[in-house]
Amino acid sequence: MTEFAENAKATAPVVECRGVQRIYQQDSVPVYALRGADLTIHAGEFVSLAGPSGSGKSTLLNVIGGLDAFDAGSVSVGGVDLAALTPAQLAQTRLHNVGFVFQAYNLIPVLSARENVEFILQLQGVASQERRSRAEQALHSLGLAELGDRRPGELSGGQQQRVAIARAIVTEPVLLLADEPTANLDSKTTSELLAVLRDLNQQQGMTIVTATHDPIVMEYTSRQVTMLDGEIRQDGGVAA
Amino acid sequence: MIRLAWRNLQRNKARTWLTAGGIGFAVLLVSFAMSLQSGSYEIMIDSATRYFTGHGQVSTDAYIKQPRFARTIANAESLQAALEAIDGLTVFPRVQAFGVVSKGEKSLGGMILGVDFAAERQQLDVYNNVIAGQIPAALDQALIGAAMARNIGAALGDEIVVLGSGKQGSVAAAVFIVAGIVETGQVELDRSLIFAPFASVADAFYLADEAHMLVLMLNDLSRLDEIVAKVEAQLPEPLGVQTWQQLMPLIEQSIELDKAGGYLFFSLLLILVTFAVVNTFVMVLFERTREFGLFMALGMRPWQVIGQVQFEALLLSLLGVLLGLGLAYPLLAYLTSVGIPLDQVGGEEVSRQMQMGSMSRIYPKATWPSMTTAPLVLIVGTQLAALISTVRVQGIRPVSALRAE
Ligand SMILES: Nc1ncnc2c1ncn2[C@@H]1O[C@H](COP(=O)(O)OP(=O)(O)O)[C@@H](O)[C@H]1O
Ligand SMILES: [Mg+2]
Repeated sequence: MTEFAENAKATAPVVECRGVQRIYQQDSVPVYALRGADLTIHAGEFVSLAGPSGSGKSTLLNVIGGLDAFDAGSVSVGGVDLAALTPAQLAQTRLHNVGFVFQAYNLIPVLSARENVEFILQLQGVASQERRSRAEQALHSLGLAELGDRRPGELSGGQQQRVAIARAIVTEPVLLLADEPTANLDSKTTSELLAVLRDLNQQQGMTIVTATHDPIVMEYTSRQVTMLDGEIRQDGGVAA
Repeated sequence: MIRLAWRNLQRNKARTWLTAGGIGFAVLLVSFAMSLQSGSYEIMIDSATRYFTGHGQVSTDAYIKQPRFARTIANAESLQAALEAIDGLTVFPRVQAFGVVSKGEKSLGGMILGVDFAAERQQLDVYNNVIAGQIPAALDQALIGAAMARNIGAALGDEIVVLGSGKQGSVAAAVFIVAGIVETGQVELDRSLIFAPFASVADAFYLADEAHMLVLMLNDLSRLDEIVAKVEAQLPEPLGVQTWQQLMPLIEQSIELDKAGGYLFFSLLLILVTFAVVNTFVMVLFERTREFGLFMALGMRPWQVIGQVQFEALLLSLLGVLLGLGLAYPLLAYLTSVGIPLDQVGGEEVSRQMQMGSMSRIYPKATWPSMTTAPLVLIVGTQLAALISTVRVQGIRPVSALRAE
């Protein structure tokens, strides 16, 4: 892996968004999900993206992750200009360089926790022996060593999200994107999950961006960004 | 991927079994019906050819075009001997003459057939229909059609006189004693046929080592093409072979017609099942839009998602095919050994129409095509059904798919 990883480790920012616009057509009325968002994220940051519902947090994360297109501006991730990539290359980027944790429906219901983690390695073409050991290791690092054989339905919400994080980091991405990962969790589980993310950031230097509308999240992150109406309103900068 | 496909099939067990069951049922039905068909054709061909005509006939090309008395096979005996040397083949000669048959004052036009009774009775069923007396054993004995016997007033032991014109237009005459009366089931034949010993008829009509036809009977009809080729290789120039298909074109036509009807029915059934499978996969796509969105969000390409579903489709159709063949195979094995009594399927009518006295049971025959057609069509059909219902995966946008609650 790759230029991406090397570039990311260098001083160049992991994410660089300039004047990003995303306009949805809803019943032929344009909806501005992003209206010129600027955001630069450096390696090792743990960024919270706050803001009211509909302010464009998810859209921004999806654009950065190469899941959604954008209509104006520029986005580069790991030094690569996303606008220049074909759909196939974007899929490769998602597969190798970005880890995703969504609000809900993260896991494949018919596969066990370990198989869910292995699934993405299988997409990468990793051999089965290595797949297995890397999945075990990822689950272990998230305190899920005992639960590898359970299906998502047999896990609590917090455990499911931890499996999702395990799957997101098992590929060693340059960037972990989490879209309201705690939205469906109670406050105790929320704190536990945030602690997991913080450890990941502090101990492994994983660059993380998490969208949230829960103020408690900001207590864990190193930098707080707030969005409103598709723009970055407030940028706490790198915490001291 | 196999594991994922298998687990997904287990996810909705009822639907999986219903779909696989539908495929299995279609496989069972079509394999069974096709085996039954090929079994019944075999019986039909066999009993039709074994009745009187034979599996094939050798005669001169001119006789094939138009059967005239003078158009005989020369050196018939040595040719017969040469052909009999072919493995799996029995050959017997016939002469066929027209003449006037009289008993006392009464006369009728008739067809005099000179045959080798000893050889023919072992192979042909017409001789099972002797309703009075017996098959001639002496050179001066004849077997006559029941209607002719009635019309000229001939009974067993009576003398009948046959008059005709021989090879060079000379008058041919012979006297026979009625040894047996046969009822073939075909009125025209019963009215005009006289079977008499080959040697007597040939003598009376001045034929010297000649015959009009050599009838070919095979031990195994499926070797027809091979044996006909060997026969043809032995034939001198003006001689040719007609197989049962040319001798009895109606049989072949009715088989072709029946096959076509069968194919139509099978196609409808298979199309119906394929639609059910389409429905299954449309539902799969509907239910799993979010999951497919997740796959693609994680970096799977649409074609990989389609491939995954294709894999599930393959497992599903294999399951159904195994189910269907698993039921069809023992059923056919059993019925092939015991047969299906024809009178239970309205066969009396059929066998009467086809003048098959000896046919009372039908034996299904599992052939390579009968057992593989339905499975292949359904496997391909299921893949296509899955494909046409999942091409829409291309249109799934992971962002919207995952957003939908
Ligand atoms: N697929 C879409 N079609 C139309 N409008 C959309 C679509 N996705 C998002 N939007 C609109 O874009 C805006 C930003 O949405 P989103 O990024 O989901 O905000 P947030 O995650 O901050 O709640 C909202 O007004 C939303 O209604
Ligand atoms: Mg959102």
